Amino acid sequence: MSAREQILGKIGPLAEVKHPGAFHGASEDFDFKASLEVVGARVVSPEELERLFPDRQRFEKTLDGLSLAEVEVLEIDGEFGVAENGAIWLTEEALPHRVAPFICQHLVIHVQKIVPNMHAAYMELTNQTTGFGLFLAGPSKTADIEQSLVIGAHGARSLTVVIHA
Amino acid sequence: MRVALFVPCYIDQFYPQVAVASLELLEKLGCEVIVPTDQTCCGQPMANSGFASSTEGCDTNFAQNFEGFDYIVGPSGSCVLHLKEHHPSEKIRNSVYEICEFLTDVLKVSALSATFPHRVGLHQSCHGQRGLRLSSMSERNEKPFSKLQDLLSLVKGVEVVMPEREDECCGFGGTFCVTEEAVSVKMGQDRIKEHASNAVDYIVGADTSCLMHMEGILRRQGSKVQVKHIVEILNHA
Amino acid sequence: MLSHAEASENFIADAERTDWHDETLWFVRAKRDKASKVLPEWEALREHASQVKDHTLANLGDYLVAFEAKAKANGIHVHWAADAVEHNAIVHQIIAAQGSKVLVKSKSMLTEECHLNDYLAEKGIEVVDTDLGERIVQFRNEAPSHIVLPAIHLKKEDVGETFHEHLGTPKGNKDPQFLTEAARQHLRGHFLASEVAITGVNFAIAETGEFVVCTNEGNADMGAHLAKVHIACMGIEKIIPKRADLAVFLRLLARSATGQLITTYSSHFHKPREGQEMHIVLLDNGRTRQLADPKYKNSLKCIRCAACFNTCPVYRRSGGHSYHQPVAGPIGSILAPNIDKKANADLPFASTLCGSCSNVCPVKINIHEQLWFWRQDLMAAGLAPVGKSFGMKMMAYTLSNPAIYRMGGSLMRRFSSLLNSSMNPWYKQREMPQAPKESFQEWYKKR
Repeated sequence: MSAREQILGKIGPLAEVKHPGAFHGASEDFDFKASLEVVGARVVSPEELERLFPDRQRFEKTLDGLSLAEVEVLEIDGEFGVAENGAIWLTEEALPHRVAPFICQHLVIHVQKIVPNMHAAYMELTNQTTGFGLFLAGPSKTADIEQSLVIGAHGARSLTVVIHA
Repeated sequence: MRVALFVPCYIDQFYPQVAVASLELLEKLGCEVIVPTDQTCCGQPMANSGFASSTEGCDTNFAQNFEGFDYIVGPSGSCVLHLKEHHPSEKIRNSVYEICEFLTDVLKVSALSATFPHRVGLHQSCHGQRGLRLSSMSERNEKPFSKLQDLLSLVKGVEVVMPEREDECCGFGGTFCVTEEAVSVKMGQDRIKEHASNAVDYIVGADTSCLMHMEGILRRQGSKVQVKHIVEILNHA
Repeated sequence: MLSHAEASENFIADAERTDWHDETLWFVRAKRDKASKVLPEWEALREHASQVKDHTLANLGDYLVAFEAKAKANGIHVHWAADAVEHNAIVHQIIAAQGSKVLVKSKSMLTEECHLNDYLAEKGIEVVDTDLGERIVQFRNEAPSHIVLPAIHLKKEDVGETFHEHLGTPKGNKDPQFLTEAARQHLRGHFLASEVAITGVNFAIAETGEFVVCTNEGNADMGAHLAKVHIACMGIEKIIPKRADLAVFLRLLARSATGQLITTYSSHFHKPREGQEMHIVLLDNGRTRQLADPKYKNSLKCIRCAACFNTCPVYRRSGGHSYHQPVAGPIGSILAPNIDKKANADLPFASTLCGSCSNVCPVKINIHEQLWFWRQDLMAAGLAPVGKSFGMKMMAYTLSNPAIYRMGGSLMRRFSSLLNSSMNPWYKQREMPQAPKESFQEWYKKR
């Protein structure tokens, strides 16, 4: 008997429990900009962006993630932002490579649309079929050394966002 | 109202004044109080130690002593919670009340003739709080409420102070107090430290087990802080 | 192996350090409270998440089959492992086919449960744990002491020493920023070189065949997106029915764990990268046994947030290593006995049953009730310490007989001063209660 058969065979019938369906009553009064700041991202105007990162680049699609290892500043477009937590949904279609937003030193994201909360976010993703997508909320961080927050763990050291919505 | 007084075993043996205060208070409030004299214990010490299978004799004795009462009232949140959750008789489970619960929900006490002009730190014993919902808990996002504080507010002169960690466990935990002695005592010492920093005269709660544990530490420390069961204050002249 | 009580006694011997450990973790609990109080719908979210998990567990077989079909259709290889041994063999086989001798792994408590690192080490394969906290304890040859904050038991001086020894950072440097930068450079080298990456799985979606990995550091992604082979290891209980269900879980997870709004990265792996091999290993290792027991089934709802650890007054004062197996704290104490009753018989007793854990649990696991049930099952299995069974029988007998109870009580009060001895564990740091002359019943008789 395969492990699969063994495992499935051990799962006996259990009393019916209904799925509760969609969640109702979620808060909607969030401020995307404020949430971005809470997660450690910086919000700038297009003019400020020019001043901060005049040498930023957009990169061509590549199959070689390592070719992006020396990228200082990566500029990309996010599909939408989530006001409740400052997260931005990105798909691999919008990235030169899946590793891009992690391997670069500094990340710049343009956001055109904002939804209030995660429930609305997943409504947006109803027909999403991308091979890889992520909610990215701020620069990488850790507090693993005596609970001291350090910005810039293994992913990007900073996140700068321009809101066009 | 006809009420049977449930006297937890360790209160019967070591803190009789708590049962005396309970009896007197209930009578003051107009209850006819019967005290079954062959009662022993609720069975919790065995059950919480993994020997619920051995409590049949205890459960039977309890049922025999308290047969026919609609209100079985006792000054112990943990004992009452145990009975409500584990006693085999549905009638018993539906008839037991912790005394603060009884005063608030059944007698709906709105005035007391008690005076206790002291500063007291309130200890929210876990089983009464999270199990019997004597007050709201810090873990949940809920509107604050406290049957204990409501009752204390009816006592003249008493000043109630909450410790910083409002509902952390004191560390008694039944046989835990000796099987995990180091953790138990550390938890008790930490609770006491918070109350001491509030300069209270008494630590007050609705569970004598917690108070007994903290009192043991206080006396070992030579502290002037004493413990009192809330019912002693509610009954205080 | 020390019991929890013995290990805790050692831990508490350093009272100052215990206070530091307790306050550090209480602060994490406080952050969680703050985050939860901002959302008026918090309790409704917990209830909803709990129901989704209950429903999933009631239909686990169907959801697992559905997940497998979708994942396979998307090009992911799906493997099933009945136990830890099978799991490790499968993972090894995939690595061996690639020929790698070193690889990166992001946090996976499941791989700790299976002792995967040790298994692979025996086969000559080095696993580099890339979560900063896990790398620190890996250097120190210690187990993680917390499932979300693996190095919470260490002070920055300790980390400084460890990095000086293993990474050549300057002796005495304990600056978290500096040390984290050193780890970033060191692990970046491994990410860029690694052909195989192992990750855990936070959630697997039956509807779409995708799985989600949540990190703050970005280490899971740095490994997976550069590797030729990505192996994701998951317990069968990590399945949830629909992608839309993720909204509730992602809103609850980080807030419950650390008080954050969401982890920095919530990566949704749907299909392998072009040219990449993606594998997922579904592990049972006793989970089906837990599922079949109505008393313990709910423990499978766990989303590994560790809120129960942070709130537990016992965990905070005894440290994760006192629980002598990979998952410590309250949830560990109800999961571990299912894996090995004898070795873990002490854990359900490392609790006062205060109930705080059940009330911070985002999926409403009745942890404190399961601790109580385990106590019954373990004693029934004959695992009581020497003398306890007899003592309990004596207590039960005494308390069933009013006359014997009264006599016993009277004797105890009369000779209570005898209990003021070092033989009495109560008396070690506490005074005994003063024995009154009369019991209540004796007083009442005369009234």
